[in-house]
Amino acid sequence: MENRTIKEPIRKKWIWIVLAIITLGVVPWYFPDAAAEPYILGFPLWAFISTAFSIIMCGYLSWLCVNEWNIVEDQEEAERAKEDKA
Amino acid sequence: MNDLAFAGTDGIIILSAFAIIMLVIGYFSGRGEKNLHHSLSGYYLAGRNLGFIALFFTLYATQYSGNTIVGYAPTAYRTGFSWIQSISFMTIIIGIYLLFAPRLYVIAKKRNFVTPTDWIDHRFKSKAVTLLSIFLMLWGLGNYLLEQLVAIGQAVSGMTGGTIPYQIAVIVFVAVMLAYEWMGGMKAVAFTDVMQGIVLMIGIIVFLIGGLYLVGGNFSEVTRYVAQMEPAKTAVPPMEVNINWLSMLLLVGLGASIYPHAVQRIYSAQSEKTLKKSFARMAWMPPITTGLVFMVGIIGIMLFPGLDKTGSEQLVGLMANEIAAINPFYYWIMIIFFGGIVAAIISTADSVLLSFSSMLSNDVYGKFINPKATEHKKVMVGKVCGIIAIIFLLWIAWNPPGTLYEIFVLKFELLVQVFPAFVLGLYWKRLSGKAVFWGMLAGAILAGLLTLTGYKTIYGIHGGVIGLGLNFFICIGGSLLAPAVSKSTVLEEDMTAINLKA
Repeated sequence: MENRTIKEPIRKKWIWIVLAIITLGVVPWYFPDAAAEPYILGFPLWAFISTAFSIIMCGYLSWLCVNEWNIVEDQEEAERAKEDKA
Repeated sequence: MNDLAFAGTDGIIILSAFAIIMLVIGYFSGRGEKNLHHSLSGYYLAGRNLGFIALFFTLYATQYSGNTIVGYAPTAYRTGFSWIQSISFMTIIIGIYLLFAPRLYVIAKKRNFVTPTDWIDHRFKSKAVTLLSIFLMLWGLGNYLLEQLVAIGQAVSGMTGGTIPYQIAVIVFVAVMLAYEWMGGMKAVAFTDVMQGIVLMIGIIVFLIGGLYLVGGNFSEVTRYVAQMEPAKTAVPPMEVNINWLSMLLLVGLGASIYPHAVQRIYSAQSEKTLKKSFARMAWMPPITTGLVFMVGIIGIMLFPGLDKTGSEQLVGLMANEIAAINPFYYWIMIIFFGGIVAAIISTADSVLLSFSSMLSNDVYGKFINPKATEHKKVMVGKVCGIIAIIFLLWIAWNPPGTLYEIFVLKFELLVQVFPAFVLGLYWKRLSGKAVFWGMLAGAILAGLLTLTGYKTIYGIHGGVIGLGLNFFICIGGSLLAPAVSKSTVLEEDMTAINLKA
């Protein structure tokens, strides 16, 4: 069980920096008042961009779960495979 | 949601069908499992063996309650487009899980944790910290359960047009819930969640389609109408709303992720792979759940302009009536949808109740009253105390509070104070029990006082978040001044990630 296979999100700074940037994109603090128009798909411009960031957040977090988290999976799956054989 | 003209007998038929399905699922999930009632982890954590489908749906149906629809659509109606925040604050919960779930899962499996308190107890070995966190978590859970009980009654009596009165509705559905929970524990809760979650998902989508149909199928038209009639609801939010939004992300993200029933779902996962996969899917759920409910609320502004606060709370019922009148297809779908709302409330209530009982049996009874009791006895104590708690909460629920959202924020204010102990404790060895205790206590008192004195938010920041700030400050400051000296090699091993592999 070598150490390099372990992936734990808390130990990677970039994960949290990117999440903070996305969060700053979600909260619409950076828009001028004029950003209420135009409407895109029925959403005011600011709301559309904020929603787009929210969806990026969904994708990012979902991707992180699958790709940046691996502590005991290999071991558990190996055990399970053994049990299945037996 | 009172006086729905569209339902009555038909509503009763659908509700009865749902109740019977839940009982059957509960019966089959408990049948043939001899160990279920003799082991704490068997009963409360489904033997730590929930597979992907059950785990995903139980996460989903527990996190999204009937209140997500009945309470959030009116909020969108009143606040306008800034309620789009409901997508982000439900999503960020997964981000917070990533802070602690990976490691907690491994430790919990290794050390056989049943409740969140098991971790706090294992980490700090301090009665004061354990008791205070039990108190805060039970308080939060109790309030949450109460909210669900109130909502069940409102939804059922609304749906059946008062044919089933509020009190009877609550009693019948609580009895159904208690029965299947008694028979199958977490396994029954998770399997019924599959059915309840699917009905909720489909219901929301059909409801939005029906709403769009009523306004001519064009959401842009709705927005144009809103911009014309109530420009504040489409305008760029002012700074205070943005600060409140950020505060909401913190409060809900940190609070909802350490809900005891949420933590117990981490413990219940069959494997890391299953847990990861379930969270990865959960991350996509907010846009198609709270996002669609948000749109429903906005459409409501055009359909029923000018409702006041109390009036807007009835929004979902009002819209359901209109949608049901379109044609028989929508009529039946709306009845099923309302049954779905009831099912969704039950699916949240059952998980909260199970978690509540597990804390009474494993933590209060098992740690403080009778540690030597057999697991079978502890499970029984939890079941019986759960029923007593429900009776007590029902007694309070007969006088339901005004709007749903108010109590939703209240429960987080206190619960979230457990967060530093829970998560900081996972990684920071110097964190001391004393600092954690005083931080938690000061944070809870500050948050409670701010809320009770009417300062629910200051400059848009929630009292709970301000209390949490103080809490973190004391935890970190206190631990730096007088660090914990850990003598436990077991703990040392758990907290060193390299040793996480068993």
